[in-house]
Amino acid sequence: MNKASNVVLLIDDEPKIRRFLRAGFELRGFSVLEAENADEGLKAATFNTPDLIILDLSLPDLHGTEVLERLRSWSNVPVIILSVVSNEDDKVRLLQAGADDYVVKPFGMAELLARSEAALRRYFKTATENPVVVAGPLSVDLVGRTVSLNNNQIRLTRKEYRLLHILATHVGLVVTHDQLLKDIWSGNQRDNIQYLRILVRKLRQKIETDPNHPRLLVTESGVGYRLQARLENSSAD
Amino acid sequence: MNTHLAIFQDLAKALAGSIDSRNQGASRLDEELPSHRFWQKEVLPLLLSLVGVGMVTAVLLPLGQPLAANLVPIAYLIPVIVAATQWGIWPATLASIASLAVADFLFFPPLYSFQVEDPHEVIDLMLFLVVSLVSSNLASRLRQETETLRHREREIQQLYEFSRRLAACFTISDLISAIQNYLSYALGQRVAFFAATAGGRFEALESNSLPMVVQESVAATVAATDATARSMVDEPTQNVWLLRTVRSDTTVHGLVAVNIGRGSREVIDLKTRRFEAILEEVSLTLQRLDIERAMEDAKLHLQAQLLRDAFHGTLSHELCTPLSAIRGSASVLDSMPAIREDARIHSLVEAISDEVADLEAYIQNLLNATRVTASGVSPRMQWADPRDIVNAAVKRRGRRLAAHKVATAFARDLPLVNVDSGLIEEACGQLLENAAKYSPSGSTISVSARAEQEQVIVSITDQGVGITPDEQQQLGRRSFRSQRHQATIPGSGLGFWIASTFVRANGGTIDISSRGQGQGTTASIALPGSTMKASELTALADE
Repeated sequence: MNKASNVVLLIDDEPKIRRFLRAGFELRGFSVLEAENADEGLKAATFNTPDLIILDLSLPDLHGTEVLERLRSWSNVPVIILSVVSNEDDKVRLLQAGADDYVVKPFGMAELLARSEAALRRYFKTATENPVVVAGPLSVDLVGRTVSLNNNQIRLTRKEYRLLHILATHVGLVVTHDQLLKDIWSGNQRDNIQYLRILVRKLRQKIETDPNHPRLLVTESGVGYRLQARLENSSAD
Repeated sequence: MNTHLAIFQDLAKALAGSIDSRNQGASRLDEELPSHRFWQKEVLPLLLSLVGVGMVTAVLLPLGQPLAANLVPIAYLIPVIVAATQWGIWPATLASIASLAVADFLFFPPLYSFQVEDPHEVIDLMLFLVVSLVSSNLASRLRQETETLRHREREIQQLYEFSRRLAACFTISDLISAIQNYLSYALGQRVAFFAATAGGRFEALESNSLPMVVQESVAATVAATDATARSMVDEPTQNVWLLRTVRSDTTVHGLVAVNIGRGSREVIDLKTRRFEAILEEVSLTLQRLDIERAMEDAKLHLQAQLLRDAFHGTLSHELCTPLSAIRGSASVLDSMPAIREDARIHSLVEAISDEVADLEAYIQNLLNATRVTASGVSPRMQWADPRDIVNAAVKRRGRRLAAHKVATAFARDLPLVNVDSGLIEEACGQLLENAAKYSPSGSTISVSARAEQEQVIVSITDQGVGITPDEQQQLGRRSFRSQRHQATIPGSGLGFWIASTFVRANGGTIDISSRGQGQGTTASIALPGSTMKASELTALADE
């Protein structure tokens, strides 16, 4: 990305999983560090200062959540969680504990790479860089607060823009309902997820080619929303 | 003297034993002849007590007159006491009088006459008579008490045996045979058992001919009526029959009729009480069996739950890890330029990915099935847009639906639904998969969502084989698969069951309709919608 080679640390106790992760990341130009348990992983995170950590939740010595909390006590390094639990509550809990995103096993390498790159992009973004976020045909100027679709400027309400702004600053990454509710309705309506659903519906009317089949602003069932960095092919990975 | 006494005692014991055992036999078998019993019980003891007196006389005779006369009061007490302890008061009294007569006749002068010269000797003989009568009385009373004690002990022993047998009963039929055995053999009474039937009637377990009066009484008894306790007299034989229910706390298991024979009021009362004590024991055992059965059920239930949890854990970890490795490795291979260039290798890699995706779907299916526990599914409700749910379902089954055209249509202003979107998505997915399975490739599967009276209806319509009314009735059973498709279309029969369980857990209903065989099928999920119109919400949400 913006460095010659980003260093990714893989913390997973399964050698089979580490093997294909290593291959996948190396193919994309990353240099790879491996750790087979939480202890080694935390040491590697301290001494080798990786740019990205891929953390498996079920480690032999310490639960992944615990590892995440310890990491977050001193570092903002992007962390993507690998989990076999497809339980929404767990995902939300991890995201609130500071994970940047998650993938649920089994997953394809493309999916993990997309999340990783989105997390890195967000981590390394500086004020001097271009403040325009591009997601497919959509571009959001975070400084000028303008939105255009296929180069045509579109008008959004204040709340619609707020929603799109938060998603755009996390482009490619999931944003939880809680975070969106808190940032958009800071007052007493922050628990009302119905408002969020309806606001998303309205925003989709304006930015999606087919609002009934959204491809930009996608729903992560039970967790939150994600603004896709680029339009996916219709056949999912 | 000692040896003679020992022989005498042995003989008496042997005789008494034989009588005792016959007495027991008599109590077991009502059919024994009355004259025979009278001989054994009444006449033989009298004769034996006389034999005893004769034996003592035979011992005393050779000793000579003065010595024998001195020994008379002591020696003749022996047959008297033996008779009293073994056979009761009458043989003992007879022995006393016979001893007095024989002693007077043989040993007191004038010899061979019943007269007595010496007044002292008259007093001696009178004293002997008094002592022997008193001691025979005491001894016979002692005997009676011992007898009663022994009898009670035997009864208790039998009851104990019976309860031990009851404790070893594991089924109702074990119990019935225990009751029958006990009552028939231990009490010597005729027993008939009538099992309760579903219709609230009672049915005899064996076709023994019972007196009409008993049969009529059984026929007149309805299971619902509580605690039947009746006694009746069979006119031709004058036997008294008791009829009682056999029940635990919760259920009536049957009726038991027992013949307690003839006899005085006291005897009948005694037997009735005993019979009731036995039934009390039986009902306690039944209660225990009820509890045991409930515990057994609970244990099985728990085991099933543990097994399911273990299965769930194993599936989600042990199977998902290798699956992830395969899928991940295939996806890395797929992105390698060298492989993308070679069409043959690339198609192999694609085959791996496709098969893994299939395997993953099957495992997901099993995981879903194990999520349905006995207590149902516990959904995490959240307001959701039905469109998101349908889109996610269609996207996730993309591969399975690849051979079909999927057309989705959503009504404008669809209300939100408060559901566990994961579960509803899975339910829609299952129905989509069924639609794809049972309709020809290239045909269209239409998915629509519309609002209807505060409900959101999601319908999935295919152009496939349809469904017969008979199949419709069986839908929803776990693992139901129609005979028509078993050979041609693979499947576990879990799909619809999972879908309907998940939908019901969310307070929704699922409905399958078909215009008939070959006419396509429509599966509709109805979910409770938000009472707030989407347009109202819009105004609130964006103010």
